[in-house]
Amino acid sequence: MSKYLDLSIIDINKKLKAKEIKPIDLINEVFERIGFNNLNAFITLNKEEAIKQALALENKEVDNLLFGIPIAIKDNIVTKNLKTTCASHMLDNFIPVYDATVVKKIKEKNMIIIGKTNMDEFAMGSTGETSYYKPAVNPWNNKKVPGGSSSGSAAAVCSRIVPLALGSDTGGSIRQPASFCGLVGLKPTYGRVSRYGLIAFASSLDQIGPMTRNVYENAALLNIISGEDDNDLTSSSNKVPDFTSYMHQDIKDLKVAIPNYYMSDQIDKDVRDNVTKIASMLTKQGVTIDYIDIDYLEYAIPLYQVIALGEASSNLARFDGIRYGHVTDSFTNTEELYQKSRAEGFGREVKRRIMIGSYILSGENADTYYDKALKVREALTNSFKQVFTKYDLIIGPTNTNVAYDLGIKSDDALKSFYDDLLTIPVNMAGLPAMSLPIGFNNEHLPIGLHIVGNYYDEGAIYKLASYIEKELDLSLNPGGDDLC
Amino acid sequence: MLVPTIGIEIHVELKSKKKVFSPSINNFNDDANTNVDVIDMGYPGSLPLLNKEVVNMALQAALAFNCQINQLMHFDRKNYFYPDLPKGYQITQKDTPIGFDGYVEIEVDGLKKKIGIERIHIEEDTCKSIHSNDKTYLNFNRAGVPLIEIVSKPEITNEKEAVAYIEAIREILLYLGISDVKIEEGSMRCDANVSLKEEDSSVFGTKVEVKNIGSISNVALSISYEIERQKALLMSNETIYEQTRRFDDKTRQTILMRTKETGNDYRYFPEPDIPYVNISEDHISSVKNNLPVLPNEYRIEYQALGLNNNYIKTLIGNIELNSYYRKFISKINPIICANIITGELLSYLNKNKLTIKDIVLSDEELIKLVNMIEEGTLSSKQLKEVLPILLETDDLLEDILEKQGIKQISNETQLNGIISKIVNANPSSIKDYKEGKDRAIKYLMGQIMKETKGQANPKLANDILVAILKEQ
Repeated sequence: MSKYLDLSIIDINKKLKAKEIKPIDLINEVFERIGFNNLNAFITLNKEEAIKQALALENKEVDNLLFGIPIAIKDNIVTKNLKTTCASHMLDNFIPVYDATVVKKIKEKNMIIIGKTNMDEFAMGSTGETSYYKPAVNPWNNKKVPGGSSSGSAAAVCSRIVPLALGSDTGGSIRQPASFCGLVGLKPTYGRVSRYGLIAFASSLDQIGPMTRNVYENAALLNIISGEDDNDLTSSSNKVPDFTSYMHQDIKDLKVAIPNYYMSDQIDKDVRDNVTKIASMLTKQGVTIDYIDIDYLEYAIPLYQVIALGEASSNLARFDGIRYGHVTDSFTNTEELYQKSRAEGFGREVKRRIMIGSYILSGENADTYYDKALKVREALTNSFKQVFTKYDLIIGPTNTNVAYDLGIKSDDALKSFYDDLLTIPVNMAGLPAMSLPIGFNNEHLPIGLHIVGNYYDEGAIYKLASYIEKELDLSLNPGGDDLC
Repeated sequence: MLVPTIGIEIHVELKSKKKVFSPSINNFNDDANTNVDVIDMGYPGSLPLLNKEVVNMALQAALAFNCQINQLMHFDRKNYFYPDLPKGYQITQKDTPIGFDGYVEIEVDGLKKKIGIERIHIEEDTCKSIHSNDKTYLNFNRAGVPLIEIVSKPEITNEKEAVAYIEAIREILLYLGISDVKIEEGSMRCDANVSLKEEDSSVFGTKVEVKNIGSISNVALSISYEIERQKALLMSNETIYEQTRRFDDKTRQTILMRTKETGNDYRYFPEPDIPYVNISEDHISSVKNNLPVLPNEYRIEYQALGLNNNYIKTLIGNIELNSYYRKFISKINPIICANIITGELLSYLNKNKLTIKDIVLSDEELIKLVNMIEEGTLSSKQLKEVLPILLETDDLLEDILEKQGIKQISNETQLNGIISKIVNANPSSIKDYKEGKDRAIKYLMGQIMKETKGQANPKLANDILVAILKEQ
């Protein structure tokens, strides 16, 4: 069996250019690997189309780094003529008529879409377990969750089925699974990447981002998916630099803050120790590291419950059984059509969140909870802005702990929010942030470093991340050899 | 004494090229479900756009209604489930309507009054449900059609003011050119809120909303019906409940649709998919300075010219006719011109289901007509004969008059000869005249017209006849 997919995309690109391999060799390898794995990383495979496309590419010039590279797409990003389910029974039969902007961009670069990855239903969850299609598992240990909601994307990249995947992050849904699976996962600045075609969970927080094996490939994929989009009014006209150009730049003048809140007793000791190790490594390089306090960080979870769930209750109202998606077999009036279609189509967690969200926006609650949450959100955003007047980056752990056993949190609604304690504040402020693998705990489960940047300064994140990655030189392939 | 308090809510469809939040063509009347895209369908993953043309139209309206402008405005989601609402929410403006605190001027029975406008905001229309044979069909051509909602302050006190208010709003929108404002076709929809209170009380009574009234005359009928209905209830000490009613055309009554419970729970919150919109001071001034002439300015001008109220109402109420009229206003007698345009010309158009744009009438010919009437050389009876021919052929006025044998004899010497002859041939009429019998003049004029084939200038002939009779 060939092992081209263990190579870096730079090396794959060289081989493609030199005609040592063809795109179809990569695609065949992808589907072989999917066959060997029992990760449940994919909901829908795009095998026939991918093979067709790979063969067609043989007549084309290899004109960019990502040409012919296989990619997996989270199943809440719409793909024309390819089923998009949001891991929900509601969209079990849903075949979109258009491509999301990011999908268009990927196709323009002649990347090959392998399939749609498993996830928590409508991106609601942090374990992958709320999927209608059964959970994906963690390639490091099949009894552990891969994290969520971008569970399948994380599992697919981690197990080297594909070098690249797209995820989406509303409260940590890229970074937390990246951390649990030992990947590089970036949530870009809100507005950096078009949301057009991303099935909305919480519109003011959602952002699509790259999940990759290493920092360079992460930057290369972000290059492609970024930029202003006329179809998304919240996308930014900010200039898109070449993110790969930040690799291995000098880091010694960087000023980095570590929030005390991120290093408190709530965080697992192994995780904290690993972060501390990185901090001293950086200090030795001349990086300024200060421990600071950031106001309002501790309100992140209630803020999320109010804002994300309020928005979600509205965003999910369109699934009513009338125009698309699941429709109940029999009904006598419209009210019943709605009730039965939605009761049958949505899973427990989604229903729970819609109910909480509806309650929060209801009558006077809107003032008590929602308007107040918006004020606290603004205050939290301002404290972050304050920090970035003095520091280039904020670091800390991505999560309170490493990947845990499947099944233990699925019945504790609050606990699953608690997972996102450290990642949610970043979505609230709209900042960019990465999870970068920095080591393993004693069970050999990956630990992630959270690197938060200033608005549109993903470059600084890549600069620091590429340095740490090179210094640590970790072996991040659960299957063994790491050639990328 | 019980006095009514009335507030009016008006929804107006704007005629922008595209819909308000999508690039679909804004034309409901095309084949059903042809002007539709993923945004109008509320398709998963789709996001709203914002049509700047619509914002500008709404801004024009807000300024024409003398409103303050929310320079930093946003949109809100109004959440409810209904088959005609594809996203499960309507994008509207709750907290920051584009315009607020304005007014329009109305005139009722010669008295002028300002009616306050509380707010004017932008929102999207729903799709159209058509019920047929137990089934409901949805036409998404209407989903996302831009609307402005104009909410009056509760400052209207009777049905006459209500009608004048709606007409004033309608005329202004017509002159802004931003809507067809046709109530019968649904491009303008009126709801009236009616309540009664004791005259000296500062507390409003319980209001009843009459929804979707289908014509301006029904606005008057439904409001007066509602006032009487509520009066009767209050007089017999019954309670009025907050209700939504509709006006029934056949019975001319308002009919209960639903009783409002503790207020609908629309779970409003700011629309996160559309960033805040900044409307700069400069932009406001430029829109303000480029507003077209509005009906009130025309009204003042026409009153000064001496046009009667019927002419003014007809002209201003028909924007195309008015702009046609304005071509002539400084060239010829404006009153006679208004008379012809709002009279013979308009009735010809109405009879033939035409608009002024459909006809070919050179400016010179109309000017000649007006001048001949002013000089008395063309009678209104002759105008009636000549006008359709002018409108239907390329012939010049002179040629038509010639062909039709319509030619007035206004030569005094010639008329004198003819009339003397007739008088002399009718001695019995002279006798009648001397005895003061009216029929003499009538009979003799008939003879004159017979002799001249109706071409005698009637006024001149009459004067000469009287003079000759007096000499006898």
